[in-house]
Amino acid sequence: MSEVDIQRIVEKVLVELRNRMEEKQQLEEQHEREVESENEQLFSYDVMDWVTNVPTPKFPKGIEELRKATPARIGVWRTGTRPLTKTILKLQLDHAAAVDAVSGEVLDSLLKEFNLFTVETCYENKEVYLKRPDKGRILTEEAVKTIKERCIKNPQVQIVVSDGLSASAIEANLRDIYPSLLDSLKVNGLTQGTPFFVKGGRVACMDHIGEILQPEVLVLLIGERPGLVSANSMSAYMCYRPRKGIVESERTVISNIHSGGTSPIEAGAHIGTILRKMIEQKASGVHLEL
Amino acid sequence: MEDRPIISVGIDIGTSTTKFIVSHLKYAKVSNRFSLPRYEIVERKIVYESPMYPTPLREKRNEINLEVLKTWLEEQYEEAGINVSDIKSGAVIITGETATKKNAQNIVHYLAEKAGDFVVAVAGASLEGVLAGKGSGAFSRSREVREIIANIDIGGGTANVAIFHRGKVLGTITYHVGGRLIELNRDGEITFISPSIEPWLRSKNYLLSVKQKLDFRHIQQIAREMCNDMLNSLTGQKPISVDDPLIHSASMQMIPDIDEVMISGGIGLLLEKEAPKTINDVTIYGDVGPLLAHELITQLKKFPFIKLNKALQTSRATVIGAGMQSTEISGATICVTSSRLPLRNLPIMILELNNEQLRNREYMYKQITDSLTEWSNYFLEEQETPFAVHIRGIASCSYAELKELAQSLFFCYKQYFPHNSFLVVICENDIAKALGQLLMLQSNNKVDIISIDQITVEQGDYIDIGEVINQSVVPVIVKTLAFMKN
Repeated sequence: MSEVDIQRIVEKVLVELRNRMEEKQQLEEQHEREVESENEQLFSYDVMDWVTNVPTPKFPKGIEELRKATPARIGVWRTGTRPLTKTILKLQLDHAAAVDAVSGEVLDSLLKEFNLFTVETCYENKEVYLKRPDKGRILTEEAVKTIKERCIKNPQVQIVVSDGLSASAIEANLRDIYPSLLDSLKVNGLTQGTPFFVKGGRVACMDHIGEILQPEVLVLLIGERPGLVSANSMSAYMCYRPRKGIVESERTVISNIHSGGTSPIEAGAHIGTILRKMIEQKASGVHLEL
Repeated sequence: MEDRPIISVGIDIGTSTTKFIVSHLKYAKVSNRFSLPRYEIVERKIVYESPMYPTPLREKRNEINLEVLKTWLEEQYEEAGINVSDIKSGAVIITGETATKKNAQNIVHYLAEKAGDFVVAVAGASLEGVLAGKGSGAFSRSREVREIIANIDIGGGTANVAIFHRGKVLGTITYHVGGRLIELNRDGEITFISPSIEPWLRSKNYLLSVKQKLDFRHIQQIAREMCNDMLNSLTGQKPISVDDPLIHSASMQMIPDIDEVMISGGIGLLLEKEAPKTINDVTIYGDVGPLLAHELITQLKKFPFIKLNKALQTSRATVIGAGMQSTEISGATICVTSSRLPLRNLPIMILELNNEQLRNREYMYKQITDSLTEWSNYFLEEQETPFAVHIRGIASCSYAELKELAQSLFFCYKQYFPHNSFLVVICENDIAKALGQLLMLQSNNKVDIISIDQITVEQGDYIDIGEVINQSVVPVIVKTLAFMKN
């Protein structure tokens, strides 16, 4: 056998091996997907699956109106003096979703989609983040350096996104609120600097960022403390010339932004108007006339 | 911040009387500091009420004598101490038998020059009924109790019934029942029979003619039968049919079970008076009104499951409804080119899309082109053809989906209506500002965009949009311009 032949055989075997490996991998992936979709099917539910009703209400229209007026768990019926099993399970599910939202992380792919680079606060880890709110208000030295390197200084509008207490709030709402916000800047004739993402941020991290970049106005889209109604609620905090030592009453906020609350697209469209008024009046918070 | 109230007027020109009121509508921000802004009209207060004035008619009795009416109205404006330029809202409603196209046109013409910036003419039996029900207190009562409440507003020419439940209008129906359909002199001699009641009289074999003398029993029998027919229809004992000579129009096929009624209008006022006993008691106003009122009460007792509740306003219910309740306020997150306002008499084109249809790009595009094709057929080309597009059915949508909608809508609008310099969009849900900015970016300042929301309109309605107040909301009047047969 010539050397060339040997080489050929070896190549053939290698190709074969690789094909087999790939095949195996594909099979494994397929299996994984199947299991995943099976799990999804097992755990998927919609709102209607959880609905329980008072069986024979004396005033059905009245109970319907009350239920429409609030997302609270009213008119869900009972067994003896206790809630129904379904009600208890839904409460536990919502609680678990709230806990998940706090401990979760925003997917890199989402941040990439909107060209947001990531910097961190001094929060260290989730545990410290929860115990020491002050640490979430200060950016790390490295973050300060990165921001100084990558961002336009003294922009008219600085947009910052942060996970805050709910990473899932960002994942659920950013795709709607962010493009709507950018369009509202255009319509209001405003220009923005370089937007970025802050990991482990608290609301007041906007003061520190304000010191670094000196924007005219800053808007922070941040995940809210999750509740039992929604774990995906977001707030938009806005401030005129944010800086250290600013008081809370100088911030303007639109809260409760999620699909069941303040509509993310309408909130995004309105932020531009608020920012324009802040710049016109050189004020924010309680001093701003809307 | 204390805002100045909107000064609103109401003018009700009925078959027998004309009334005028001035009211102050106070609006305020009702949202908290952490939400998107929302305004509401928080107080509606009457500041002037005119005396009842007999509607001036020309000899043929089907046309309003506008000259005389104008003089009276000008006196009233003076009496109320208001300038035409102060009036920012309100409505003139032409009711009952006088609601003919010719009269309406004359009034509209008059309004354009004299009545104030944003006073509109409304007509249509259905809207009349609803406004009367709002003025009489039936509407607000329906919000407080769990019963279904009907307001029957009976004037000279028609009975307008509006049915309310929990603050919603379930439907309206109008009957040819009124005090002045047959007029008599003091001796009971017929002086006038309205053409609109003749078919019913014939169907009942009442062969009446002018100059014929009627006695008390005879009139009583006619009034009784009229009331009975109406109540039988209202309680579902008799099906609603367009062939029914007593029915003028109806917005529903089936009437829900009514628990309570309120009676307003001129007849409502007569209920408080003692029952007429002689022909002289009946003909005190030269018509059959007093007896009709009495018979209505008597006949109503045959339906013990219906409770009669006293109306807060009777003969002025419609004018109060027109003056105080016709104006609404839009959502506060809207997108408008304020230089284009006010806009009047925009017909409504409905674009209905549910969430699924919105996601199906081809379907959505086809819906838009189909609707616009139909509309472009109504209009001549080469001229501005203003109308408003009402978008409804979308429960919630992503920004990307809304962008698709804005692109398709704008592209098609431009194509079908190249001469239009503005586009009006009225959204059912709170999406007007987002949709408005998308349209603005599409139009690139070539077409002015007016996008408002939280207003309910129907096919066939017309809308008036007032000037922006407080930089954030616009007053809106939705009108149903369905006139009676000429």
